[in-house]
Amino acid sequence: MRAGARGLALGLSTALAACSQHAGPRAAAADPAPTIAVGSAAATVQAVARTLDDYPRSLDPQLTTDIPSQRVLDDLFEGLVALSIDGRPVPGAAASWQQSADSRTWVFHLRENARWSNGAPLTAEDFVYSWRREVDPKTASGYAQALAPIVNGLEIALGHKPPDTLGVEANDAHTLTVHLMAPTPYLLDLLDQVYLYPVYRPAIERYGDDWVRSEHIVSNGAFALQEEIIGNRITLRANEHYWDASHVSLRTVVYYSMPDRAQAVLRYLAGDVQFTDSFAASQRPWLKSTLGDQVVNSPWLGIYMLAFNVRLPPFRDQPSLRQALILAIDRAALTRYLKYDMYQPADTLMPPLAGYEPQHPAWARSGQADRNALARRLYAEAGYSPQHPLRVDISTSIQGADERHFFEAVAAMWHSVLGAEVGVDESEFKVLLQNRDLKRLPLFLDSWIGDFADPVNFLQLFDSRGSLDYGGYSDTRFDALLDRAAQEPDNAARYRLLEQSERVLNEDAVYIPLYYYATRHLVKPYITGWHSNLLDRNLSRYMSILEHQGR
Amino acid sequence: MLRYILRRVLESIPTLLLIVTIAFALLHAAPGGPFAADKAMLPEIRHSIEARYHLDEPLWRQYLRYLGDLAHGDLGPSFQYRNTSVNQLIAAGLPVDLTVGLSAIVLALLAGIPIGLNAAWRRHTLWDRLPMGLAVAGISLPVFVVAPLLVLVFAVKLHWLPAGDWVHGSPSHLLLPVAALALPYVAYVARIVRGSALEVLNTSFIRTAHAKGLPAHRILLHHTLRPTLAPVVSFLGPTTAGIVTISIVVETVFGLPGIGRFFVTGALNRDYTLVLGITILYGTLIILFNLLADLCYAWLDPRVRLE
Repeated sequence: MRAGARGLALGLSTALAACSQHAGPRAAAADPAPTIAVGSAAATVQAVARTLDDYPRSLDPQLTTDIPSQRVLDDLFEGLVALSIDGRPVPGAAASWQQSADSRTWVFHLRENARWSNGAPLTAEDFVYSWRREVDPKTASGYAQALAPIVNGLEIALGHKPPDTLGVEANDAHTLTVHLMAPTPYLLDLLDQVYLYPVYRPAIERYGDDWVRSEHIVSNGAFALQEEIIGNRITLRANEHYWDASHVSLRTVVYYSMPDRAQAVLRYLAGDVQFTDSFAASQRPWLKSTLGDQVVNSPWLGIYMLAFNVRLPPFRDQPSLRQALILAIDRAALTRYLKYDMYQPADTLMPPLAGYEPQHPAWARSGQADRNALARRLYAEAGYSPQHPLRVDISTSIQGADERHFFEAVAAMWHSVLGAEVGVDESEFKVLLQNRDLKRLPLFLDSWIGDFADPVNFLQLFDSRGSLDYGGYSDTRFDALLDRAAQEPDNAARYRLLEQSERVLNEDAVYIPLYYYATRHLVKPYITGWHSNLLDRNLSRYMSILEHQGR
Repeated sequence: MLRYILRRVLESIPTLLLIVTIAFALLHAAPGGPFAADKAMLPEIRHSIEARYHLDEPLWRQYLRYLGDLAHGDLGPSFQYRNTSVNQLIAAGLPVDLTVGLSAIVLALLAGIPIGLNAAWRRHTLWDRLPMGLAVAGISLPVFVVAPLLVLVFAVKLHWLPAGDWVHGSPSHLLLPVAALALPYVAYVARIVRGSALEVLNTSFIRTAHAKGLPAHRILLHHTLRPTLAPVVSFLGPTTAGIVTISIVVETVFGLPGIGRFFVTGALNRDYTLVLGITILYGTLIILFNLLADLCYAWLDPRVRLE
């Protein structure tokens, strides 16, 4: 999932509410938040109010691609595989599964007691219908190509084959077989994606687009839709027909749309919401001093970076120049002073992930002074000098003053270390996208949040045959390594191949890693049953409210 | 009178058509399309999405299709809120904006007119200088400063009022946003009323009223008020249309589900139908409120003839 869209959506309101971001916090900081006394027993009222960074685009799992929708859908629906409290795949609608020796055929056994929120049984046929719907061009799903690992998935999405040829079949009401194009050891990580959630066919056939309205929608997750006030909030109630309903504590979950991060913070301080989805980085220092442990930051599987277009001047055939720019950035200073220590500096593409060896480049072991010295040498080698400086713009989207300052600082570092004359060119997000798609930009903002916890999700960004390679990078070694990894059934061996491919990327210097994303929540101390996790997906299903005094 | 209204309504149709045409052309000329996603799709997949919304057709056909739907009152599907039509989005958001906006107008009039009249009556005293000084401050303070301050004081510190959100029929949820929105308009109205009243108070019929020995309240309410209000009404026509719609800052700060936010995110996301739908709505409201203002004007000032 590209992260830029989200940044942009927030940019506007951040700009509008610039004053509130600064005036509010300072005034509040003078008066520490009242302390909250938390007991150990469950509270009598089990309800939680959470914030979303924007109003969900749709509650139709196959039509939506945005993070706010994902948050709500994670509570409303459940795939074959669900997410555990710490964000790992665990049995969901399917109680168990087996895979064939070549990892190309998977059989899932659905729970006998899995039900829709109207009490109807959830069957394997429901999944077949929903997955065909996802790839059917008539549905016009934005993620249709994501089912490419399933037999015929891509051909159907491209309109070359009919949807009923999709490699998924219901053997009986509770058995589902999935046929894959290639061994896919990370299939379980894919299966908890929103677009693979089952949808209720009778409601869709009867109500069309309106099937998602609260009076019609039928879902299979731990919660059901109670009420929707478009543009404002979505209220969920516990789904009595959920197979694990006895372990769901919360009776009500309310999601408020709060595009203005400062407002989310104010509403949290006022006690209206108990779990916020974000806050502005610039607010972190005073939030930390005011709220202490209620401020939660943890690694989030995503990277913020700049990418080179390796087919455009001045970066075409200039690996030394690209490397010089990568080196001459003091990432620690950037994250400390401009991101308030919220993020970890990044020196390679893939954020830390268990089992995957981080591919830190050699320069990561040296200090910034040595990096700068090397950068100056490479810059000179590339034919640039104070008399003939590099002149280029960083193309980024309008995301408010904080982001602009960040890139101005990057440009200033390049200027002081190398003498390069680098500008910051901000455009509307849609304009940036178009120029990036048309491969017109030599140096552009490129950020990525992993859809699932697998390195291939990041490395595909540079696959010359994919649709995400905006920098025009094309390398036969790199593509061949990705192909070999795609055919490798053993996950450890696959990771080794992907590590190699990442080393190739780093040697070719095609992107500038800046920092890894971090989750940012404000969470009341009386909410228990949740864990920071790499995917930043926190299901309300596990949460409960402890007895407490104070808001 | 009826003929006048009918003529004005008929005259507004070409105006609206012009607005639609210009907006349609501008939107389609803007770089980037509604489905230029943050995650680039394969061209075939993007094409199938665009085909679903007829975006693959020639522009003139899309335009005629849009006008045809519009004639039936159908503003089309929203591109960014994929399961929701523009009609549904407006139906959800407009009542919120109307409630908050009209309440703010009423508050602005109820507070602004007495302050202005009083200032004119007692001109150059503290009753004049203090409120008019405050009015300048009220006009100058941007709503994005006032609104968060109100939240901070009345919700976060004092816990008297909710910090935001929208609950149908709950006056406590209305109070802060209406106050924030009304504040500059109280000031505007007060200043306009003061200026206008000063002029009226200098006319010969007011002098005659004084000469007849009428008490102050009769002079102010029976003779001064009506002619004083004429400039307020001309100010209110376009202002009302603006205040009930373009209060995006207030919507954002108080988390109100109005249409102002849809308008802005719609424009940024190239949600053509949503932006067009709201543009048509704004255009209609401006025409409507201007017509109402002209009618009021004629009622207030007998010298004005509508024909």
